[in-house]
Amino acid sequence: MVAVKELCKSLVQPLLAVFIGLLTGAVVIAAVGESIIGTYQELWKGAFGSFYFFSSTLARATPIMLIALGLALAFRAGVFNLGAEGQMVLGAISATLVAIYLPAPGIVKMLAALVTGIAMGGLWSLMAGYMEAKFRIPLLISTLLLNYIAVLFASYLVTEPFQDKGGSAALAQTVMLDKSIWLPKLFAGMSVHAGFLIALAAALLLFWVLRFTPFGYEVKMLGQNPFFAQYGGIQRIKVMLTGMFASGAFAGLAGTVEVLGSHYRFVDGALTVPNFAWTGLMATLLANSNPIGVIFTSILLAAFQTGAMGVERNTEVPLELASVIQAVLILFISAKFSYTWWKQRKKKGGDTHGVA
Amino acid sequence: MEWLDWSLISSTIRMVTPILLAALGGALCSRVGIFNVGLEGLVLVGAFSAIVGNHFTGSLILAVLIAAAASVLFSLLFSYMTIGLKANEIVVGVAINFLALGLTTFALRAIFDVKGAFYDKDMAGLPRLEIPLLHDIPVVGEIISGHSPLVYLAFLAAILLYIFLYRTVTGFRVLAVGMNPVAARSLGLKATRLQVMAILLCGVLCGVAGAQLSLGQVTMFTEGMTAGRGFIALVAMMMGQSHPLGILASSLLFGFMDALSIRLQGFSLPTQFTSMLPYVLTIAAMFFLKEKNRGASNNQ
Repeated sequence: MVAVKELCKSLVQPLLAVFIGLLTGAVVIAAVGESIIGTYQELWKGAFGSFYFFSSTLARATPIMLIALGLALAFRAGVFNLGAEGQMVLGAISATLVAIYLPAPGIVKMLAALVTGIAMGGLWSLMAGYMEAKFRIPLLISTLLLNYIAVLFASYLVTEPFQDKGGSAALAQTVMLDKSIWLPKLFAGMSVHAGFLIALAAALLLFWVLRFTPFGYEVKMLGQNPFFAQYGGIQRIKVMLTGMFASGAFAGLAGTVEVLGSHYRFVDGALTVPNFAWTGLMATLLANSNPIGVIFTSILLAAFQTGAMGVERNTEVPLELASVIQAVLILFISAKFSYTWWKQRKKKGGDTHGVA
Repeated sequence: MEWLDWSLISSTIRMVTPILLAALGGALCSRVGIFNVGLEGLVLVGAFSAIVGNHFTGSLILAVLIAAAASVLFSLLFSYMTIGLKANEIVVGVAINFLALGLTTFALRAIFDVKGAFYDKDMAGLPRLEIPLLHDIPVVGEIISGHSPLVYLAFLAAILLYIFLYRTVTGFRVLAVGMNPVAARSLGLKATRLQVMAILLCGVLCGVAGAQLSLGQVTMFTEGMTAGRGFIALVAMMMGQSHPLGILASSLLFGFMDALSIRLQGFSLPTQFTSMLPYVLTIAAMFFLKEKNRGASNNQ
């Protein structure tokens, strides 16, 4: 009974936030001079209106979910990794190149590509962690900067040495991958692919790791109280580096499954333009870094985006409706955890007062 | 060394202005203990509002003021969420960026009825100031004279901010609030008020940065035209240890690398490598600054 009450209580704020987000959306829709109800109907139809659209939403949620899971781990450990974009792109391009050039049968190639994507994303992220550990270069700076380097480098690779020269137009992209390496679609003709299952499995795995393993305990301790953790014999650097590698690996995997499951080639900008990395960050923050919560928040954010695509197709309202609603949503959700944090802080403050 | 001439320095000074202004704003926030990831969004709002102001009032001064006012409005939201509602500042910053991108695109459609970019050939950009005596001196004139007024304002702002923080009583109080809010409060300082003031001033600086972006360099607005400059400003702020003069130096480094990368595009290097240069060199520079970097990550 108490649990149900708690659950209801914890749901009030997110629902209120969704409501305010939609209300703000209504104001901007009215400003463009469109019908509010009609636009929201299109939004719903674009996200969940048919099985096809629903599967597109799940496909869109896949990379967001994987990135969000990696960030959830990093944030839990108190490590601020803002480099998911670069880690994702670098993982994706390396995986693509392996998938194109490795002389091996299809399934081996696919596994090799996945492993490469994970490893490259992880190593790129680990580099930032290493620079923090060894040279005290703040992670916030290095991860942001490494994004630009990775994205530009990948863009160079597909415009110069590995560009698809076959097509009539010289687009910045690699050649199409062989069909045997494609991640299978879950339903024929639908966009959702096996990557979604990988993401779900990853969420459960991360939940288990954080909840039931010594490493998860160390991460939790470090995130909650680094001084106590160190006092208790937890090696900060080791956990930080592992956390960085793992969160980068998740981002690399996100890019890889997007290539192997949706695009079937690396297209310059295809991973950066949809803003997967920052959306993943929002999904993590919305879910309060809870791996199971991340499943739902990434689908929610993806639904806003695919829904907004439907809105743009059928009305005069631009795609950015999704950005506005998402932004307001997260603003009002963020006021929540701070509220609980504020209560804790007040309590703590009161205690010390009592002792003094 | 044909590509290395004095006009490179001159274009550096132009490139650096939006970054410098936004970074100074970020530094003010960081000095009162708030890490503002929303610089990108604030600059974007400024850039858009400057164009709107210019289009409807026809006055450049009003346009810059409107840009500043719009960004202040956004920073008011930022300060209410972070200080009033105690929300996580990184969350709010990310949300501000999304909100700015979404709302400017929306407003572009609603006000000008165009998609992607707005350009009006009758619209005047910011004038280039030719400083009377300096302009005639051969090299110095070429470098220093002939920029938009906001360029000079940016450099002036860096110096003023330095004087404010380190030479005035209010400045010391601001620093005290950032170092230890609890201690500052116990001294009777109005910490919250100082924090809000700093964030609002950051909004002004970001708004002016946006005006320079949309009126000083090109006289047009394109969706998401900040193109990561807000994040670069964030990096410049962290590299400069939130010290106005340090930021001046680190922003100049970024501006120079930017100008250099554009210059190098005429040569056989692929454009991606030339655009990569600023970031690679910044990371390289961080290895030399490593002793002082400790504070920046502990700010969190």
